[in-house]
Amino acid sequence: MEFGWTDEQAVARENVRAFLAEHLTSEWQEIAPLSPGSEAVTSFSKRFCPKLAEAGLLVPHWPSAHGGADASPWAHFIIGEQLWEAGEPRGPQYYNVNWIGPTIMKYGTPAQQDYHLGRMRRGDVIWCQGFSEPSGGSDLAALRTRAERVGDRYRINGSKIWTSYARLAEFCFLLARTGSDRRTISVFLLPMDRKGIEVRPIESVVGEGDLHEVFFDDVEALESERLGPEGEGWSVVRYALNYERVGIPRYALALKTLHRAVAALISEGAFDAVAQDAAASACSMCEAARMLTYEVVDQRSKGSPSTGATSMARVAIVQAERSVADFVLDWTPHLFGSAEQPMVATHHKRAIAAGIAAGASEIQLNLIARDILGLGGSRGA
Amino acid sequence: MELELSPDQKLLMSALDGLLAPYRSAPTGAHGYFEYSESLRQALAEGGFFDIVGEQGFGPLEAAMLIEEVASCPVDAEVAASTLIAPLLGCDGAPVALAWGLGRPARYLDRAGTVALFHENGLLVGAPAPDDWRTETSVVAYPLATLCRLPEGMVRQPADLAEAVHRRALIGIAAEAAGLMRGALQQTVQYVKDRQQFGQPLAQFQAIQHRLAEDAQTVHACRLLAFRAAYVDSAKEASLACLYAQQAARKLIYDCHQFSGAMGLTLEYPLHLWTYRLKYLQGEAGGRGKQASALAAHLWGETS
Repeated sequence: MEFGWTDEQAVARENVRAFLAEHLTSEWQEIAPLSPGSEAVTSFSKRFCPKLAEAGLLVPHWPSAHGGADASPWAHFIIGEQLWEAGEPRGPQYYNVNWIGPTIMKYGTPAQQDYHLGRMRRGDVIWCQGFSEPSGGSDLAALRTRAERVGDRYRINGSKIWTSYARLAEFCFLLARTGSDRRTISVFLLPMDRKGIEVRPIESVVGEGDLHEVFFDDVEALESERLGPEGEGWSVVRYALNYERVGIPRYALALKTLHRAVAALISEGAFDAVAQDAAASACSMCEAARMLTYEVVDQRSKGSPSTGATSMARVAIVQAERSVADFVLDWTPHLFGSAEQPMVATHHKRAIAAGIAAGASEIQLNLIARDILGLGGSRGA
Repeated sequence: MELELSPDQKLLMSALDGLLAPYRSAPTGAHGYFEYSESLRQALAEGGFFDIVGEQGFGPLEAAMLIEEVASCPVDAEVAASTLIAPLLGCDGAPVALAWGLGRPARYLDRAGTVALFHENGLLVGAPAPDDWRTETSVVAYPLATLCRLPEGMVRQPADLAEAVHRRALIGIAAEAAGLMRGALQQTVQYVKDRQQFGQPLAQFQAIQHRLAEDAQTVHACRLLAFRAAYVDSAKEASLACLYAQQAARKLIYDCHQFSGAMGLTLEYPLHLWTYRLKYLQGEAGGRGKQASALAAHLWGETS
């Protein structure tokens, strides 16, 4: 056990910083506070990610067989920390590089890998995630959208909800029921321009482009669009979720927001002892989240991270986000309530969703209780 | 960044594990407020564990691992100051007591060969004589004594050494608190698995599962932050780890006692051997407020 960075890692971080300093121009600074699913950020990401790809910074952690550089998960994570701190200029494309791509690598056919991984590593394709439904949120296996086999095709009917990025996405990583058993689910890599798909945005407090309803009315899917064997989508989902749940170093933006709020208080001469106490406490929560996240990355660098460690990191991240969001509201309500520091509002919007997206915190607590403490199974564990 | 133990660290922890086996449970018939074990300290000394910071390839990180592991046992021995601070002061042998002011109780002072006193004049170090202190009786699960007067021959230490001793003291508190929390949590988890109410183990109730799951996450974070602070051996990280640990102790202590019911209030049940050390550590070195203030100064400057 040691907590240092290798020279190579330190250089890699500097390289990312230098790249961002060069390519995140004033245009980005203006749109960074917008939602990752907004038209402006999505469009920026399609110009920015190809540059990242060209610099070898988009998918270095992918195997060379899939166009990566066989870099360690640490190399990828260092990039993620710097990008997230900068407001995540990859927009929705972080999905692709963090978890959709790796899941297709594991379960995809050569043709699926060739096409989809090729698009992702070029950095110009947007995906959405068709998981949650009105009947299945935290209880994902309760989903009702069905894919009926009709000859060599499937006919999909049902609806998804809370789907981020759906309006601008080219593809959906879609879960649909293909049998009567609770967990008989299949995964489809479905083009979003398919006839019968309707996307309706949901206005929300988390930002433009983040929440949608998606309706499937007799939508056809080809057998070649199914990911993995029919009916065995649950194991695909579990694999994907383990990548998804710690794809985002959210504490990096939280810490940056904390520093901005403190800087504002110092400039106003208002950073008194009580505020210092609260700020230091919020910082310690972020650092706790960082260390638990690092543990997951460390485990991933040696294979697959444990569910327990992944859930602990998720819970810690949510607590860290809340600590910072509360600090901002308690001490700098003027920043929250004005356009003076737009990143403060951005952080709040992202923090409020952090405990819900990718499995509610309470589901993570179920998993910790079951997998780490060996306490009797709860539903959802 | 490598969060698995190295082969040498594994060997170290395996040797320690063997040594601690007799101390993993409270002695039979133990009904004391604290369980200090000279034999545990002796065994650690004979095993060379107190010299760990000077060992080839080892340093404060391995000392923190040792402190955390020993603290997870219900039986106590002075380990933190002997491993992290004694090498700085050039003293060895008897326990080292850290006193956070004249007239205030200090842990292990009644059996210390050396006392390091954080005083308004700086850090003073010397050998306490029996007339210098009085034993305290309390529910705290540490042997406590109060330094009534300044022992003769106390030597004021240079500022950089004082800073290093203070930093290592915070790292020691963080590591020890992490181990105490782990021990208390393990005891409580076992209790809720065994204890039946309403026809099922307490462990089946989600209200209990969630709180203990939160605690497990916090305890693990404490451990990693304490180890990181030891590895980098910096004042900022020491403040941060100590702040987090002293902050986390509050909820953990409450939860462990709450789920142990009235059993947790008795001396025959060992929970207090962890929690009543942890309670004391909550306020050590000025408590979480002091560490928060120090961390804020490290992060945002003294003028903040």
